[in-house]
Amino acid sequence: MPTLKIDGQEIQVEKGTTILQAAQRLGIRIPTFCYHPGLSIAANCRMCLVEVAKSPKPMPACHAQCADGMEVFTNTQKVQETQKAILEFILLNHPVDCPICDQAGECVLQDNYADYSLSPSRLFTKKVHKAKAKPLGPKIILDAERCILCTRCVRFGDEITKTGELRVMSRGEHSEITTFPGKTLDNPYSLNVVDICPVGALTSIDFRFKRRVWFMSATRSVCTECARGCNIRIDSFQNKIERYVPNYNPKVNQWWICDSGRMSHTRWTANRVTEPRNTRTESSKTAISTRDVADEMAKALVTSGKASAFVLDASMPNEDAFVALRLARAVGSRLYLGGRAQNGPQDELLRLADRNANRTGISAIAGPSPLPGLAEFQKDVASGAFKTVLFIGGEHEGPDKWAKLLEKVSVIGVLADIRSDLVDIAHIVIPAAVPQMREGTVVNSHGRVQRIRQAIRLEPAGVVFPYWRILKRIATTAGLEATWNSERAIFGEIVASMPQFAEMTYDKLGDLGLPLGSNGLSDVDVDAATRNIDPSAPQYRKTNINSRMPWQH
Amino acid sequence: MLELILLSVAKVMGIVMVFVMAVAALLTWIERKQSALIQNRVGPNRASVAGLRLGGIFHLAADAVKMLTKEDFDPETDNPLMFRLAPFLAVVPVMLLFAVIPFGPGEHFLISNVGVGALFILAVSSLGVYGSTIGAWASNNNFAMLGSIRTTAQMISYEVSMGLNLVGIFMIYESVNLQDIVIEQGSLIWGWLPAWGIVLQPLAFILFMTASIAETKRAPFDLPEGESEIVGYFVEFSSMRFGLLALSEFIGIVAVGATAAVLFLGGWQIPWVQGTGGWLTVAQVGAMILKTLFVVWLQMAIRWTLPRFRYDQLMRLGWQYLLPLSLLNIFITGVVLMFVEQGRI
Amino acid sequence: MAATVRPVQRKEFKFRESSYLPEVLRGLAITTRQFWRNLVGQRDIVTLQYPEVKKRYPNRFRGRHRLMLRDDGQVRCVACMLCSTACPANCIHIVAAEHTNTSIEKFPQKFEIDLLVCIYCGFCEEACPCDAIRMDSGRHSLPTFSRSPQNIGKIDLMEIGSLSIAKQGGKNA
Ligand code: SF4
Ligand code: SF4
Ligand code: SF4
Ligand code: SF4
Ligand code: FES
Repeated sequence: MPTLKIDGQEIQVEKGTTILQAAQRLGIRIPTFCYHPGLSIAANCRMCLVEVAKSPKPMPACHAQCADGMEVFTNTQKVQETQKAILEFILLNHPVDCPICDQAGECVLQDNYADYSLSPSRLFTKKVHKAKAKPLGPKIILDAERCILCTRCVRFGDEITKTGELRVMSRGEHSEITTFPGKTLDNPYSLNVVDICPVGALTSIDFRFKRRVWFMSATRSVCTECARGCNIRIDSFQNKIERYVPNYNPKVNQWWICDSGRMSHTRWTANRVTEPRNTRTESSKTAISTRDVADEMAKALVTSGKASAFVLDASMPNEDAFVALRLARAVGSRLYLGGRAQNGPQDELLRLADRNANRTGISAIAGPSPLPGLAEFQKDVASGAFKTVLFIGGEHEGPDKWAKLLEKVSVIGVLADIRSDLVDIAHIVIPAAVPQMREGTVVNSHGRVQRIRQAIRLEPAGVVFPYWRILKRIATTAGLEATWNSERAIFGEIVASMPQFAEMTYDKLGDLGLPLGSNGLSDVDVDAATRNIDPSAPQYRKTNINSRMPWQH
Repeated sequence: MLELILLSVAKVMGIVMVFVMAVAALLTWIERKQSALIQNRVGPNRASVAGLRLGGIFHLAADAVKMLTKEDFDPETDNPLMFRLAPFLAVVPVMLLFAVIPFGPGEHFLISNVGVGALFILAVSSLGVYGSTIGAWASNNNFAMLGSIRTTAQMISYEVSMGLNLVGIFMIYESVNLQDIVIEQGSLIWGWLPAWGIVLQPLAFILFMTASIAETKRAPFDLPEGESEIVGYFVEFSSMRFGLLALSEFIGIVAVGATAAVLFLGGWQIPWVQGTGGWLTVAQVGAMILKTLFVVWLQMAIRWTLPRFRYDQLMRLGWQYLLPLSLLNIFITGVVLMFVEQGRI
Repeated sequence: MAATVRPVQRKEFKFRESSYLPEVLRGLAITTRQFWRNLVGQRDIVTLQYPEVKKRYPNRFRGRHRLMLRDDGQVRCVACMLCSTACPANCIHIVAAEHTNTSIEKFPQKFEIDLLVCIYCGFCEEACPCDAIRMDSGRHSLPTFSRSPQNIGKIDLMEIGSLSIAKQGGKNA
């Protein structure tokens, strides 16, 4: 256990700890570029050089390991001069494209220059020019001039995805990141290199020029694209989701997310259901409201009684599932667990075949006997057992022709967040909020309970509601008692009635979540987890959806 | 009988339509022009007919067109009838005033020779307050209502001293018939000084002018409504209804001018010229008109000179200064008359 | 610094003033004199007959915005959004797009300024790193009969634009 001093503060660390990690533990900031906690250490940028007593030359803090009796200085004049020199060197041929660079605002080079240099350029010859806006693959564009050759992207390909598409080509000031001839950068995790690139050299085609980063509001949430439940940050502007980026969670996704999860926000914006519909009765009203159709649904459910069925969505948050189960059991309906396909792409890194976010949670809440799935539902409905069916969620993996299967059902209702052919044939369509518009909890396939948070306001206001609100309305109209007023309150009831959730609260779940059956005790060393976040990543303002400043809208 | 009716109609037409309305309409332009010149501005000058601007006199026509074509707004009110009636209630009393004002010698320049002409003026001019109060009340607007309360309080306060001011005149000329008063003013005191009201009753003239400006609700007494700053009793009126209310104010100015001319400036009398008939009558009518216009001009000059009173100042001025001074004026007049009469006998 | 208190003596009105009348007459004399002076004599009038006579604005007058041009007449703006970030009135709306020329890379597909919302503070031209937006046109916002023409777009902004002497891309580009 070496003991060392950094800037006069003494600290004892485990053997093998780097100076950078020790300094982080003391809260001392050392600037970095090439260091990433999830990748091997390359120590090629030299931004992290610190002075060590009795050492003739400065040492890279990201690489040098702590030794007993070491004395490290991070802020001497020598260190400052070194930092300035390194930055001048890195910026020598840098184009300073900041006005047109997507990274501006979250650029490590900008931050480090502003904090450690601020000296003007002394270059009097022309800058070296390299490839601009060169596509590396279908999702990523490279600007070779902006690259600082930290090789984070190269190491990501080598170590994380093990696909190794990227390499550094040429020498000296002509060095350039490139793919092998004829190869492209296109793997299911490729967009992570855009996040880890400390500068604007790698940009995502999807997000390119869409929004300056400082306009956006950040909300921590969970990706609902598959059963892994990767932690994400939802960046939104003017109530529109602009992008997903990964958030570090040591127990789920580390620093990464898959590309389909990252792009899944488009799924939630492109085909939303924003209008109630009722094709069964001719209404004398010119416009029907969500409440009207919910009441209509309630009547149909009550009339059918035991001849009715609920098909739950395996992605719906626990709170909704809890309310739906209560309602279905009170009405006497049969319950099925539907949802999206369970045979999606799968690999050892993150992606799971089950494309639903909350199968584990719903099963936990439903009780000991597992809910029958869509196959059983198809069999039962074909036998004509149901007069009324209520689907929750617009997307259910189903037969090619829902219409044919459901032709004997007299009332097909859908609480729909996004459009699908099922929604098109339904008699009663009740528009529902997408997950980014609401609070809730989901449980991933490994039994981790995590919070999804509201990133944008309900829109159109007064038309779409979270599932549980609509279900509450149906329950009230059906003459049942329903008193929940918030997701928190429902979660409180889940906690009270399900031992697996015992002792949990939204606040205890926090950012990193808790495993089922943990009695509210965290399994993450939060200190270590904080230190494992990329130290150069900029800090984002958390959003409180209800108290946005005027310019955030 | 028919002859009398025709004659009266002709006189009404001549005096009210030709003189009063024309002057009142012109005043809307003159007022803007005069205030502009006082304040080193140009004033309205853009309206033109066939490229001819004539100092912007066509703004009169432009205003009329604007008034007639603007949206005629109906507030939500329980008394639409009263609301519609209000502009007429405001404009009719001020027009009625001209019924008893002699514009020249004899019967022809006077619509109706009422025996109690001066009292008629006092009585009818008080009726104007109904127009503003009813209009404000019927427009169902709190601001208008407050404005009309201010109006009522102000008009009632100043009516008292206005009436008392005239008592001195009545005492001196021993008549309340306006034609008689004018004729009396034709005499000369000590053989050279015209016996005009302003000469014999200077204090009463000042007090009368003050009180009547307050009666017409003009600056510095424009608290009932102050065009751009104070929400007043006709805030809900638009289009020609607003036009009528505004016009009634301008007719009121002419009425005050004519009344003051008759009571204090010798009416149609031309100083040191005796007798009537022929061209002299025409000249005398002209003199009356000139005097009226002078008082009109004076009122406007006052408006653009004095800043507005505060409401408490307004009330104090009315009750604590004007009223006692009017009473004092009556007293002094009485005492003086007592000695003069004694001397005469 | 300690605050210094300076008592202000209110002017006491003398009888002459508080009796109104002499002062009223004095005021009337002034207004009457000015009236006649302006009507017939020497005119003190300061009004300018606006559309015919125009006042020269000071050199630093901030007028309608204009978008400067590149040497080939394209818009100089690179859609960095710094102006709309700096804008306190939130009235600059830019939609950026990819330019076919990779050396330009980013350009504003839509550039709108809502002049009715703009407060003419000049922060936008202050913020622009490319000398692309300027307010030195010396022109007023134009009066219009409806709101929409006040939301002026890229073309209108470029129409009064001109070349800039600043080198696009900085000195060593
Ligand atoms: S990488 Fe950073 S410093 Fe370089 S142009 Fe982009 S924002 Fe500017
Ligand atoms: S492209 Fe980005 S991550 Fe890759 S070497 Fe260059 S700067 Fe580093
Ligand atoms: S002048 Fe000010 S308010 Fe107007 S566009 Fe520029 S920054 Fe915005
Ligand atoms: S600051 Fe200049 S370059 Fe940037 S968007 Fe505005 S006008 Fe364009
Ligand atoms: S050398 Fe240490 S961060 Fe790059």
